[in-house]
This record gives sequence, structure tokens and C-alpha cells, in this order.
Amino acid sequence: MAGHFQGAERLGARLRRLGVGLVLGVVAMTAAPAWAQSPPSEVHIGIILPDASDSADPRFAVAQSARQGATMAEEEFVLNAEMFQIDFSVVTAEASGPDVVSAAESLVTDDGVYAVAGAFDTEEGRLLSAWAAEKGVPFVNLLAPDDRLRNELCAATSFHIAPSAAMYLDSLAGWYVRAGLRNWFVVQADNEESADQYARLNRSLTERHFGAREVGHAVVATAAPLDQSVIDDISGSGADLVVLLTPAADQLTALTAMETAGLDLMVTGFPYPEAQTRAFFEQSRQAAPKLGAGMRALAWEPTIDAYGARELNARYTDRWGEPMEAAAWAAYQGVKVLFEAAMFGGSTDSEAVLAYFNAPSSVFDVWKGIGTSFRPWDHQLRQPLYLSQIDAEATDARGLGLLVGELPAIYMPGTDPVERLDQIGDLASQSQCRL
Amino acid sequence: MMGLFARPRRIGVGVGISALAVLLAMPAMAQDETYRVYVANEFGADITVIDSATEEVVNSIKISDRPGEVRPRGMAVSPDGRTIYVSVSDFYPQRQTPEDKIMAIDVESNEVTGEFNAGGNPERIAVSPDGTQIWASLEAIASGAGYDVATGKQFAEHRVGIEAEGVAVSPDYKWAYVTAEATHTVSIIDIAANKVVKHLIVGNRPRVVEFSLDGTRAYVSAEIGGTISVIDTEAQAVIQTIDLGLDSRPVELAVAPDGKRIYVAGGGTSAVYVIDTETNQIVETIREQMGRRPWGIAITPDGKRVFTANGLSDSVSVIDTETLKVINNISVGRGAHSVEIGVVPNNE
Repeated sequence: MAGHFQGAERLGARLRRLGVGLVLGVVAMTAAPAWAQSPPSEVHIGIILPDASDSADPRFAVAQSARQGATMAEEEFVLNAEMFQIDFSVVTAEASGPDVVSAAESLVTDDGVYAVAGAFDTEEGRLLSAWAAEKGVPFVNLLAPDDRLRNELCAATSFHIAPSAAMYLDSLAGWYVRAGLRNWFVVQADNEESADQYARLNRSLTERHFGAREVGHAVVATAAPLDQSVIDDISGSGADLVVLLTPAADQLTALTAMETAGLDLMVTGFPYPEAQTRAFFEQSRQAAPKLGAGMRALAWEPTIDAYGARELNARYTDRWGEPMEAAAWAAYQGVKVLFEAAMFGGSTDSEAVLAYFNAPSSVFDVWKGIGTSFRPWDHQLRQPLYLSQIDAEATDARGLGLLVGELPAIYMPGTDPVERLDQIGDLASQSQCRL
Repeated sequence: MMGLFARPRRIGVGVGISALAVLLAMPAMAQDETYRVYVANEFGADITVIDSATEEVVNSIKISDRPGEVRPRGMAVSPDGRTIYVSVSDFYPQRQTPEDKIMAIDVESNEVTGEFNAGGNPERIAVSPDGTQIWASLEAIASGAGYDVATGKQFAEHRVGIEAEGVAVSPDYKWAYVTAEATHTVSIIDIAANKVVKHLIVGNRPRVVEFSLDGTRAYVSAEIGGTISVIDTEAQAVIQTIDLGLDSRPVELAVAPDGKRIYVAGGGTSAVYVIDTETNQIVETIREQMGRRPWGIAITPDGKRVFTANGLSDSVSVIDTETLKVINNISVGRGAHSVEIGVVPNNE
């Protein structure tokens, strides 16, 4: 079912009272983004959200957060569109799994969207990316981190706001090695995505972050408890850090098992979308009051207080009464980059939009304090990631996490900012993507 | 009342250019002039006052007894130098509190002489050349607002882009320009008609806008884009974009009185970029001895000194515009945010 965010509320309503119909000024640029002199008259963007209305569904919190982020994006960018007399809307559809393709098709043919954003896991990312490539529709991957989407499954029409698994794993290596945790035990799930993560993590440790080593490795069945033999292996390995490359729900059961066994070490897990919510943070500290109150990697942290993030987080909290989580941030930025590509590229034609995304001069402000851009070799958005400390005592959602790390550090004058952001993730020479 | 032009003196950067023009016509007098340099300390909740001639701190004006909660940021100085206007808010952008206001402070008595309600997280302000109006950017509600100094009443509120930030009044008093960070825009307000007449797209995350002395140009810094947009104010169009580099982080800027240079505070890069306005090229990047995170920047009316407010080192750097070197660093309060320069009150 397609839904349409109608009208801006709160801030929007307040601002619209002051609205004026105006014209776009002529923009002439030198040595800067060649922004269009006139925007398109219409910009309609489609977003596919998970069909997760049951609060017991692990994707419920992610879906709700993404919906709220997309809603706020429409409310804010419709105001920007009005300033330049652009007919703008965000149209949403709810679908999961294979149904995302028909949802995308409907958004384009029935609702007239020029681009689609979505993908809450690898399968949805794969299906939407293939569909978009076939139809020539710009597609933005919001939340699927799987590196295969940026390599053998990459497409000229697909762009990834979701940080890649490689970026997350490099960041974890960077943070924990610098924190002195150098003996890692890695728990991998028995699926292809997790196996790829394990291989990539090994490359992180051996090729990019010298000083840490793997002291043990286990492959566990999905949705199965961590059995005693694995716990014994961890206990006898001398590990000071356990990295769980397992689904979010399995990370929780593993935490409980390790805490019950009395293990005394640090534990973190791969930041699947479900593991980047405050709901997961709460579940983590409940599952294991000690080990579950560790540090987690995130694409966005509600306690970021710099670079204008304070304002974005505050507006979101004011609008929804809860902190802006990673899925909300991704949905908001998905709308933003598609709006700006059309507005500044001057057209919603795929060719123009893709050209804008690919242009070296195209920079996106995603409230991370540095101009971000899509890597030309795999269309991954370069961006900093964050490390959040789960608070064992917090009583409110925002306070459940606290920003404790940022990688790459953006304030490094004298270094090239693009190279700086490319400190995490796969470089061109490592990419299998052929666009 | 002292006539505005009886004795030309410097007023806040970006305002009062008419008075400044007279000043420039009297170089001998200008050389003897001293000014007051005001620094808003965001975390200290006070204003540091510096004598520009001695480069010594001569006063500290308390804004609140609750540093860390009450946050002075943008400032402007009245043409007669007697009053500074300070935009004050808290650290919670969306929360409407009594702290969201513009304070008028007598710089000799340190007394608050007026408060203008400015709900919506006022960030920066500008004074009209005749000193009768204040214009403010209200960040949380995406508005540019005008206030009557005499009555304290808000007489204008116009919708601009999301995350309104910089504001400036043109030297001819016809236009107020307001930037918006999230939408990359500058909105042009016709003051007499009291309406927005145009929105311009500028660089990515625009911060501050300043007019040239003659009012023919306005310059807009863009922090994420690393650019300065040059606006032809008659055509109301961006005619050029100066690329400082993606990592330049430009925030505040100051236009030299003769219009030949722009000095740009490079925020996170702890640098000041000096731009030749004829070529629109960087002629110097000042890094040596610079304080950390220069956010605010202002130039004296004689064009000899540039002062930067350095947020991370709680200091003001003083730059000699002839040598383009930092010649002094002055300790100020916690979290120096912005700096403005005014004439010494009653300095007849």
C-alpha cells in the first residue's frame, strides 16, 4: 500500500504560514559544483519501508524509525521545494522480501516517483538493485550493509547510503585495536553474508590495523544458542574481545550465554540495522547486564552534538518524541540526496541524476561535519561512522547510548578529506564492481 | 544625541557601512582611532571586551549566571558603540525557553537595557545602518526576523530555509540577507516592502553572509562545500563561487574596508584564508600561531587588524593585515564564538 505524507506539521505548519512563492536566482559557479540554473518542476521520491506492524517483529523499530525519518524529510524538503516552486513529495510503500519489486514498480508507474530508496537487508537490496538497473531507475540503498551489493551485485543505478560491511569492520578494528583489545575471538553465522564479513574482518586485522590478531573462530548455526563448546573455546583462547558476526537476535542470546558462563571480556557485534536501535540497546543490557553494556558501531548516534547534528537530532526529537536512530537518519538522508540530485542536477531524468551522483564535485552534507560523496568505483557514500557506549543505568531512550568514537576522525587538517574518509571500506583496487 | 556621522567610527562588521565610508575619507583621524572588540563566549556565558589599541581585556560582561546553559553567540554593535546586541539561547535548539532572546547591553554600565523575545533559537544578528532595527536568524523555526530597537517589538518574520544561520543588512538599508544551512540558500528580504523577494542557491551548508563596503557584493561562506559565493546584489544573483577546497571549513568572514580582501575564518582547520576580491583567489592562508577553531572574525575600520574568536583555545588571535601574520593571542572566555568591533562609546 502506498502512503503519501500529506502536509507539514509542527515546524512545517509554522513555516508555511510565512511561505512565499518565489523564483530561483541565477547561479553561476566556477570551480565548484555545476548546479543547475533551474530545477525540475516536479520531484517525487519513493521509499519502500518494511512491512512490519507487529512490535514483536525485530524489524519493527527499524521500520518505524525509517518511516519517521522519511516523514520528517518530506516535511522539511517540501518547504525547500516551495521556495523554488517545485512540486515535491515522498511516497511510501510497505513491502518486505520479494514484494519490494512490485512495490517499486507501482511507485514508479502509479505514483510517478523518479527514484526509489529502500533495502533493509541483503535480499531486498539485491532485488531492488537488479530491478532498478533493468528499469533505469535511480536506487538508494538505505540500510543493507552487505559488501556483495557493492561488488559482484553492484549496478550503475544503485547508490549506497548504508555504510558497507567493510566500513563497519574497518571501524571496529580501528576502535578496538587503539583501545588495546588485540586478541579477538570471532563468532560467525553459517551463512554467506557472515562468511564474507569474517573474511573481510581478517583483512582488516591483517592488512589495515596491525596489532590485533585472531585468537579463535567459531561458526554457529543461525537462531541456535551458543553452545558450551564455543564458550569453552572463547574462555580458553585468551581473547579480550568477542566479535559476533551473527544476526541481531543471535547476538543477544550469545551475550546471555557468555554472561551466564562468567566470561570477563568485551563483546561487540556486527551492526545490522536491527542492532542499531535503542530498543536493541535495551535488549542487550537486559540480556547481559555486564557484557551487554558494551560498545556498538552505528551509522548515526542521537547524541552527536556537533556539525549541526545537534539541530537535526533536536528537530527529530521535537517532532517524534524520541531520539533519531540510524534508520531514521538513513531515510532522511535518502530523501535529501535524491532531492538535491534532482534539484541541483536540474532534472529527474535518470541520466542527469546519475551524472550528478557520480560527479566528483557533488558533495552531500549529511550532518557528519564533512562533505560526503559517492565513491566512483562502487557508489558507496563515504562517511564517518560512530561508536556508542551502551549505558547500563540510563532510564531514557536517548541516554541508552553515548557517543564515544568517530572514524575516520574528520578534523585532520593537512590531509585530503576524500582520502581521509576512504580510510574505512574497500578501495578501488579491492573492488570487484564493474560499472 | 550624538550624531551618527559627527565623528565617524567603526560599527559592527557588515553593518553601518555608510559611517565607515566617511571614516575612510578621514585617514588621519582613523589612524588615531581605537575600537572595542567584543567576543561572545558561548560556554562562559559572557562577553569579553578588548581594547583594540592595547590588545588588552578591559571588561567582561556577564550574560548569565548559568554558563553551560545559557549561550550567547551572535552579536552586533550599535552605530554609536554604546550598545551591543547579543543573541542568546540555550543548548537545546528546539526548546522554547526564556533564554531565546536578543539582549541589548550598555557597554559602559554592563546593564541590560532591553530584551527582545526571539523564540526559535536565535543564532546571529545584524543591526541596520541607522541603528533602529535588529535582524536575526531564528534557526529552529527557519525564519528571518526584524525587531524595532526602540520598542523591542518584532515587526517582521519571514520564512527562509531550514536551519537559518547568517544574517546581514545591506549598507543601503534596503535588504536583509539570511542564510540557511540545511537548504543551501540565501533568502533576500526587502526591508521596506517587508517581504521575501528571492531565494538563491549558494554553497553547501552556508554559514555567514557579509556585504562589501559599497554594497555591490555579498559574500556567503559555505562550510561543507568549502566555498564563498559571490552575490551581485543589484542582480540578486550568484555570479561566482570561490573554491577554498573541500576541507577549508569556512565559517565567518570579514570584508576589508577597502573591499579588496576577504578574511575567512577556517573553523575546524584553524586557519584564516585571505582572498583577493579582484581575482577571487586565496593570497594567503594563515595558520602559524592561529588559535584553535577560529569561528568568528572581524576587521577594524582602518583595515589594519583582524581579530578571530577561537572556540577551542578560548582566545582571540590578532592578525596584522600588512604582514598577514598572527601578532598576538589574547585569552578570553570559554568557547569564543563570534567577534564584533565597535567604536568606543562617548569617545569625542
